[in-house]
Amino acid sequence: MDLFADLWMGFSVAVSPINIAYLLIGAMVGMIVGIIPGFGPSAGLAILLPITFGMDPIGAVMMLAAIYYGSMYGGTITSILLNTPGESATVASTFDGFPLAQQGRAGPALVMQAVASFVGGTIGVIMITLLAPAFSQVARNFGPPEYFLLAIMGLLTLVVMIGANWRYGLISVLIGFALGTVGVDLETGQGRFTFGSAELIGGIDFIPIAIGLFGLGELYYAFYQGLHASGSGSIVQYSKQSRFWPEARDWVETRVTMFRASLLGFVVGVIPGAGATIASLMAYSVERSVSKTPEKFGKGAMAGLVGPESANNAASSGAMIPLLTLGIPGSASTAVLLAAFLLWGLRPGPLLMEQNPEFAWGLIASMYLGNMALLAINIFAIPLFVWLVKIPYRVLAPAVVVVCTIGTFSVHGSITETWLMFVAGIVGFFMRLFGYSPAALVLALVLGPLAEEALRQTLTISRGSFWIFLERPGSLWIIAITIGILLLVPLMQRLGRPPKLDAASGEED
Amino acid sequence: MIGMTGKAWSLIKAGAMAGVVAAPLALPQQAAAQEDYPSEQLEWTIAFGPGGGNDIMSRTIVDILQKYDIYPAEIAVENRAGGSGAVGWGYLYSQAGNPYAISTTSGSYITTPLQADTPWGPSDFTPVALLASDDLVLLVNGDSEIDSFEEFIESARENPPTIGGIGTINVDFIVAKILSDQADFDFDYVSFNDAGEMNTALLSDALDAMMANPAEILGLVESGDMKALAFSGDTPPSALGDVPTMAESGYEIGVSLPRGLILAPDVSEEAQNWWIEAMKQVVETEEWKNYIETNQLTENIQYGDEFEETILSTQENFETILREQGVID
Repeated sequence: MDLFADLWMGFSVAVSPINIAYLLIGAMVGMIVGIIPGFGPSAGLAILLPITFGMDPIGAVMMLAAIYYGSMYGGTITSILLNTPGESATVASTFDGFPLAQQGRAGPALVMQAVASFVGGTIGVIMITLLAPAFSQVARNFGPPEYFLLAIMGLLTLVVMIGANWRYGLISVLIGFALGTVGVDLETGQGRFTFGSAELIGGIDFIPIAIGLFGLGELYYAFYQGLHASGSGSIVQYSKQSRFWPEARDWVETRVTMFRASLLGFVVGVIPGAGATIASLMAYSVERSVSKTPEKFGKGAMAGLVGPESANNAASSGAMIPLLTLGIPGSASTAVLLAAFLLWGLRPGPLLMEQNPEFAWGLIASMYLGNMALLAINIFAIPLFVWLVKIPYRVLAPAVVVVCTIGTFSVHGSITETWLMFVAGIVGFFMRLFGYSPAALVLALVLGPLAEEALRQTLTISRGSFWIFLERPGSLWIIAITIGILLLVPLMQRLGRPPKLDAASGEED
Repeated sequence: MIGMTGKAWSLIKAGAMAGVVAAPLALPQQAAAQEDYPSEQLEWTIAFGPGGGNDIMSRTIVDILQKYDIYPAEIAVENRAGGSGAVGWGYLYSQAGNPYAISTTSGSYITTPLQADTPWGPSDFTPVALLASDDLVLLVNGDSEIDSFEEFIESARENPPTIGGIGTINVDFIVAKILSDQADFDFDYVSFNDAGEMNTALLSDALDAMMANPAEILGLVESGDMKALAFSGDTPPSALGDVPTMAESGYEIGVSLPRGLILAPDVSEEAQNWWIEAMKQVVETEEWKNYIETNQLTENIQYGDEFEETILSTQENFETILREQGVID
C-alpha cells in the first residue's frame, strides 16, 4: 500500500544517528520548557530556530516538532506536583493531578500521565498517517460560524464543571467573561476597558491568570492551613509505603478514557485556533460527564488526569494536519514551525506533502519515535520529580513564587502581566477559600472572546441573519453533535449509574 | 502567545558571536572619519516576540552586520514585546539621544499610536532607512466563479462582498477601503485575529474575498485552492504567477506598511549618517536578497528624510481613512 511505502520511506529518512540525536535534544528541551511555567513551546521553538538555519531541514523539523509535543509531557509535571500548570494545555491536569499528589499518589499520577501522553501522542500520529487528507477537509470547513458553535460546545462543558454550587460557579464564569472583554475590540478597533494603557490593548492573556489562580492561590491556601508549621511540612503527602507504580485499578478505570480523550483531542487539535488547551479542558468535562463517579472529579480521580493528558498530546499531533496539508498554523507554536518551513525554503501549502514527501513523512515517522523516547525519559525521570515533593513547604513555597514570577514574566516580558499574576494569586486564594471555581473562570476567559469574535464575524458575513448556522454543512454537523451529547450524556448517566454508584461510594468510605 | 526572555537570546547571541568578535574591522568610509562612533555595544530592541516577521528581519540584519563586520562592536539583541510594539518602541523613546539604541519598524509602528495613548509617535524617532514594504494580495476561493480582478469589481458593484483581513486598524482594511472607494463598490469588512482562521474562513466559503500577505498564501494559490486576483504594490512576487497590480487597472492604492530601521529620538546626524551608509552595504548582500525573496517582501529602499516622509504620509493616510470610518476619534 502507498501509505506504508510512504511511512517506510519516512522512517528510512528519520532514522539516522544525527537525526535521532536531534530528536532526543528536541524531546529534552520540550520537557524542560514544559516544566517551566509560562515558558511555552513557542518560546522553546523560537530559541532553537536560529540554530537550525544551517541544518538539514528534516533533522531540524524533527527537533522542533519534538519540542512542541515534548512540552505537553513536561507541562503536566508541575501541574501534578505544584498545582502550577507548566503549559496552558496542562491547566486541566491540575484539577485532579494535584489532589492525587496530595493523597500521596504523585508517583502513580506521574506514571499515568506519561502513559496517557504517550497513548494520546501515538494515536494522534497514527491518525495523521491514516487520515491526513481527510482531516484537512475538516479544517477547511471551519469558518466563523463553525468556530462560534465550537466555542458554544466548549462553554456547555462549563455547566458540568460548575458542579453543585452553581451560584458560585456562575459568578466565576462571569468574572472570566468580563476579563475576556478587555483589549482592542477586533471588529471596531476600539479599546475596551484598557484605560488608555498600551499594555492592555492586546487583552488579558489567560496564562498569568491561570498561573496566579492555581499556583499562587494554592500556595497561599496551604499557608493559610498552616502547612508550613505542621506535619512533614510538605505541600503534598509522600510516604515510602505508597507505591510508585499505578495500581491495576488505575489502568482499568482509565483504559477507555485514554482512547476517547485521544480521539476528541485529535479532532479539536485539527481545527486551527482551537488547539491543545481547549482540547484538554473539553476532555476533562467530557470525562466528568460520562463518568460513573463524577463526584470524585476534582478530588483525585485518575480519569480526570488521564483525559486531559491524552487529549492535549493528541491535539498537538492534530495541529500538524492543517500545517502539513494546508500550510495553515493552528497555534503560536505551529506558527513558529511555519516560519521555519519558509526559512528552509519549503513552501507550506496543500502541495507540500506531494512535493517534499521525504520531509513530511520523515516528520511523521519521527513523531512515533519521539513519543517513545519521551515515554522512556518520563518514566526514568519520575523518581527525580517525586523527590521534589519531599521538599518541606518552607523551602518549596518561596521557590514556587519565584518560578511563577519568572514564568509569567518570560511569556511576554511584561511586568504588567506579572502584577496581574500576583493579583490573580490573591483572588485564587479567596476563590479556593469560599468555594468558587477557578477552572470555570479560566475556561470562560479562553472561550468567551473566541465565541464573541466568531459570532460577530458570522453576523457580519450573514448580514445579521442567524440562519447561516443552518445553511452550512459544517455548522449542521456541530449542532448535531452538540445535541447528541446533550441527549446522550444524561441518558448514559441514568442507565449506567445506579448499580455502580453504590460500589463507588463504598470504595470511597 | 510567542514569548521568551531577551536575556536568553543575549546568551545565545553571545555564544554565537564569540568566534566573530576578534575579526578585523571594516568600517563604512564615512564612519572611519568619525573616530568615536560607533565604538560601544549596540542595544538592538525588537518590539515583538521571537519568531514573528519583525523578529526575523531584525535578526537577519544583525547577522549580516556581524558576518561582514559592518558593526565594529558587540550587538545585544533584546525582545521587548507587549502592547503591539508599544513597550519596545516606548523603551527606544526613553533612550532619547543615545546613538547606541536602535530598533526596526513594522505596521504596528503606525497603527499602535493610533489605537492607544502612547507617549511617542512615529515622527519622534530618528529615521535611518526604509528597507521593504508589505503589500497585499486580493484573493478569492479557488472554486469561485470570479476569475479576474475586473470580474471581481463588476460583481462587487452588484453584490457587495464580504472581505476578510487581519485587524481593523490595519493596512488590510485600509487597502480594501481605498480600493472600494476608487472602484465604487461597497463591502463588509470581516476582521480576524490571525491568518489561520481567516484562510479557513475563505476556504470554507464563509468569506467572499480576503486581503493577505503573499508569503502566507503562496502554497494555497499554487495548489489552486485560492485565486490571486490583484496585488496592491508595484511588483507582484513572481511565485504568485501573472497577478496584475491594482495600479494596472487604474486604482492607485499608495499605502503599504513600512519595514525599516530607526534610532532613538534626538540622535546626532553623524550617527544617523553612519547607519545610512551601513544599511547601503547591508542591502547589497546575498543574505539580504535571500531574505527579501523567501519572505515575499517588496524591496523599497529609502534613506533618512525620505523614509520619514513616507512614514508621515502613510500615517496621515491611515488617520484620515480611519477617522472617516469612525474607527478612531
